[in-house]
Amino acid sequence: MPQELLRIEAKKPGGNWTDPAVQFRKGVFCYSAAAKNVRALDLPNPRDWQPFDADWKLPPDWKRILLEGMKERLEKYRSFRLFMDICVRCGACADKCHFYVGSGDPKNMPVVRAELMRSVYRRYFTLTGRIFGRLAGGRELTEDIVKEWFYYFYQCTECRRCSVFCPYGIDTAEITMIGRELLNLIGCNTNWVLEPAANCFRTGNHLGIQPHGFKDSLEFAADELEEITGIRVDVPINRKGAEILFVMPSADYFAEPHYYTLLGYMMLFHEIGLDFTFSAFASEGGNFGLFSSHELMKRLNAKVYEEAKRLGVKWILGGECGHMWRVLHQYMDTMNGPADFLEEPVSPITGTKFENARSTRMVHICEFTADLIHSGKLRLDASRNDRWRVTYHDSCNPARSMGLLEEPRYIIRNACHRFFEMPENTIREQTFCCGSGAGLGTDENLEMRLRGGFPRANAVKYVQEKHGVNLLACICAIDKATLPTLLEYWAPGVEVGGVHELLGNALVMRGEKPRTTDLRGEPLSAEVTHA
Amino acid sequence: MQVVYSFGAVGAVMVAAAAGLVIGGSAWIAVVAYAGFAVFLAGFCYRVVQWAAAPVPFRVPTTCGQQTSLPWIKSAALENPSTTSGVLGRMGLEILLFRSLFRNSQAGLHEKRLILSEQKYLWLAALAFHWSMLVILVRHLRLFVEPVPALVVALARIDGFFQLGAPDFYVSDMVLACALAYLLLRRFRDPVVRYISQFSDYFALLALIGIAASGLSMRYVTRVDVVAVKQFALGLAAFHPVRPAALGAMFAVHLTLISVLAAYIPFSKLMHMGGVFLSPTRNLANNNRAKRHVNPWNYPVKTHSYAEWEDDFRAKLKAADIPLEADHATRASAD
Amino acid sequence: MASSNDLVEQWFAQTLESFPDLSARFLAEEKDRFRNPVGHALHTSMAALLQEVLGNMDAGKIAPALDAIVRIRVVQDFTPGEAVGFVFLLRSIVRGSNPPRPAMIEARIDQLALMAFDQYMRCREQIAEIRANEIRRQTRARPALQRK
Ligand code: SF4
Ligand code: SF4
Repeated sequence: MPQELLRIEAKKPGGNWTDPAVQFRKGVFCYSAAAKNVRALDLPNPRDWQPFDADWKLPPDWKRILLEGMKERLEKYRSFRLFMDICVRCGACADKCHFYVGSGDPKNMPVVRAELMRSVYRRYFTLTGRIFGRLAGGRELTEDIVKEWFYYFYQCTECRRCSVFCPYGIDTAEITMIGRELLNLIGCNTNWVLEPAANCFRTGNHLGIQPHGFKDSLEFAADELEEITGIRVDVPINRKGAEILFVMPSADYFAEPHYYTLLGYMMLFHEIGLDFTFSAFASEGGNFGLFSSHELMKRLNAKVYEEAKRLGVKWILGGECGHMWRVLHQYMDTMNGPADFLEEPVSPITGTKFENARSTRMVHICEFTADLIHSGKLRLDASRNDRWRVTYHDSCNPARSMGLLEEPRYIIRNACHRFFEMPENTIREQTFCCGSGAGLGTDENLEMRLRGGFPRANAVKYVQEKHGVNLLACICAIDKATLPTLLEYWAPGVEVGGVHELLGNALVMRGEKPRTTDLRGEPLSAEVTHA
Repeated sequence: MQVVYSFGAVGAVMVAAAAGLVIGGSAWIAVVAYAGFAVFLAGFCYRVVQWAAAPVPFRVPTTCGQQTSLPWIKSAALENPSTTSGVLGRMGLEILLFRSLFRNSQAGLHEKRLILSEQKYLWLAALAFHWSMLVILVRHLRLFVEPVPALVVALARIDGFFQLGAPDFYVSDMVLACALAYLLLRRFRDPVVRYISQFSDYFALLALIGIAASGLSMRYVTRVDVVAVKQFALGLAAFHPVRPAALGAMFAVHLTLISVLAAYIPFSKLMHMGGVFLSPTRNLANNNRAKRHVNPWNYPVKTHSYAEWEDDFRAKLKAADIPLEADHATRASAD
Repeated sequence: MASSNDLVEQWFAQTLESFPDLSARFLAEEKDRFRNPVGHALHTSMAALLQEVLGNMDAGKIAPALDAIVRIRVVQDFTPGEAVGFVFLLRSIVRGSNPPRPAMIEARIDQLALMAFDQYMRCREQIAEIRANEIRRQTRARPALQRK
């Protein structure tokens, strides 16, 4: 019977994870890094190739390079060695990865993703593995395994959700990071990671916007703000002697809906009279090096402190971005510090000391703004956000690598009237990733992203149906770039915005003209536009 | 396949134990016990030293709650500790109560039925297994020390509180047996866990089951001569193995399996007993921005410095009227 | 005739066979709709579809249910045939249950299959569209780009 046939064809055997064969189908992987970008960063083995090619043109001694790279990292990272050794395969993490939940592909279970690397570790670096091979869970390192690693390590958004549930805190993101670092040694990179990194290295930001373009963007934003509020805000760039250096993800000044968040920052800084400067050199807080190797992360991050020192500011304020804050919070001070040329951050408006940032000397804009609101320094008219019914998406990095959970919520609650949380097991430390983080957010990888983002979108859809939510607020540039796409597909009708966009809408500025539109240029309803 | 090998391996150990007993008598048992214990000690130390020798270049705790930031925002002292005592608390919860594993648990009403998820039993079984194992280990101390410490006596008394029919019936024995049975069953039954299970996983479980079964049978069925066991054990502990009265094949199997498992620990995932204390995502405080973490192998990297950047874009910077480092002084005085 | 609940369960189970065994079990057994959104969506939507096939064939109810299922399968590792093939599974299931007016029901299932295929195509087109929209959004601030 035909329908029986169909069933047999459709049946996918569970198989055995030790078989490394993978198929690079269009829509579910990222293209390779163009040779010029690899060269621009002095990384190994620049060449023309694509993941679907049979021959990846690996260097002749690729196997030695990988094994030596592994050995080196086992000695340098306790996390790596430990996570290779102590997984008991209890399976607690198995169904915690959004890619597994969305795709059903068993190799997307965090434990298996890690085993892809662990099996090679056992074969070459443990006594039992060297003697007993497969029986001790070892796998011979082959080119197929390199391809498998590439496929699955670029199917992990390094979101750390699995780590929350593991009894030993095994963080598959850490293993993925090392895995990508190893692949990087033999020239297996993706363009979506390396092109922004190469741009950033040269011009200071991911899109490769040059200083004059940077200035134009900000001036343009100031023009738009003048139209909306009647107030001309300053755009200080590379200004020496400012008290504070402000660093944001570059998407804030070139992409939508990030841009409205930028407007929000600029309004806020003007209103409180902040003595600050932008920098056209440190024109990117984001760091795609994080998605490639620790070394590249450090190379791209160096400009933040370098610029703060050059400009002679007292401390640094950072905009809304997820992975940027992973780097700033957990790596920057260690990599490029100590920041002894800066001062311990104190809010010039409220006098609050940011004790939690006394060493790194960089404060998150949500911490800064929450403090302003709490001290009663801002006049907010939440009714200007009345067209929104808001929910909040915790971005992975601020949630699981910082614990920045309440500050943005506090701002949202003050800036708008209608705020609804998504279900408990999809927010805060259990938040579901957008499915596009860690350098996966490219359009050629869209189907994979739609799979991985489904658990997140599903929870959004739930609050959309239940509470009529029509805006998803978040504090991450990658979210703002990719969640609109995700929601267009899974929960049409829900838009995406930044927390400081909501703040900007609500902020009552001294001397402003009666507002007729919000920052998106959408009319405010009549009763709201009182002067 | 992995299961078959594991059964085979555990069976082989048992056979070897019995054969050894026949050929070498209890001297053989002593040799095996010493060897097993020596390998365990040396191996365990080696592995822990190996881990400890690897630096922790970055402070990367996984945060599971609100950070410590502004004083009026309540932080999650245990889920996202920023102090050493908080970290101790977090580790305590993790090690004593398996906090993270508990997160998997959920009990909920679905379609009007109360459903306890499978994962909840994992937490329960894991906790039951580890705790009862600890109790049993401590109880075994009475075989190795004379006089028996009061603590051990007290523990045994509590453990034996429910005199369910049999004299000296220990609750921990039953709990351990049930938990082990569940854990093994889960490996067979749950397709996800079966998919990821390896030789090592089955072997460890089967060996433990073998140890438990032989121990229980000595206790409740064959009624081993405890005085003789103690004499032998005290001898072992004093490095003066005595030649005891016949202790039987069960005893040989029990002790051999223990020795083999002990020796296997350093080569396997069972090292998690030491590793759990060292996990950098759990045992570090999330005070990254308050206290600098030092990476011992931090090395200089190639960057694109401001000076190079200014050189690259000088003309454009000038045209856009962005202050330059070179003529900043002149600008300042002109202003 | 078997209860429609049984039929849904059979249909659901057979559809899950297109996933690897272990995932099929997860999709079937994890009841939390947020932990297991795929399983939940498939199950509730299939129940809704079956009700319509055996009942009124109300297009207003069929469309969203069909959409929920097809939308998911479009982005998973399935060929177009596999993605919409789940509809055909219903045939033998329903036939086995000896329904009244079998010819009508089979015709309805065929109709459902066609609708599923249409929906599949619409989702594909939408993916192309949202891809284009995404690229557009990434270049909003014109000045920055014009002066490259
Ligand atoms: S939860 Fe941890 S120990 Fe358990 S399988 Fe996953 S990584 Fe391994
Ligand atoms: S870090 Fe996130 S994406 Fe990666 S395996 Fe864990 S849960 Fe999946």
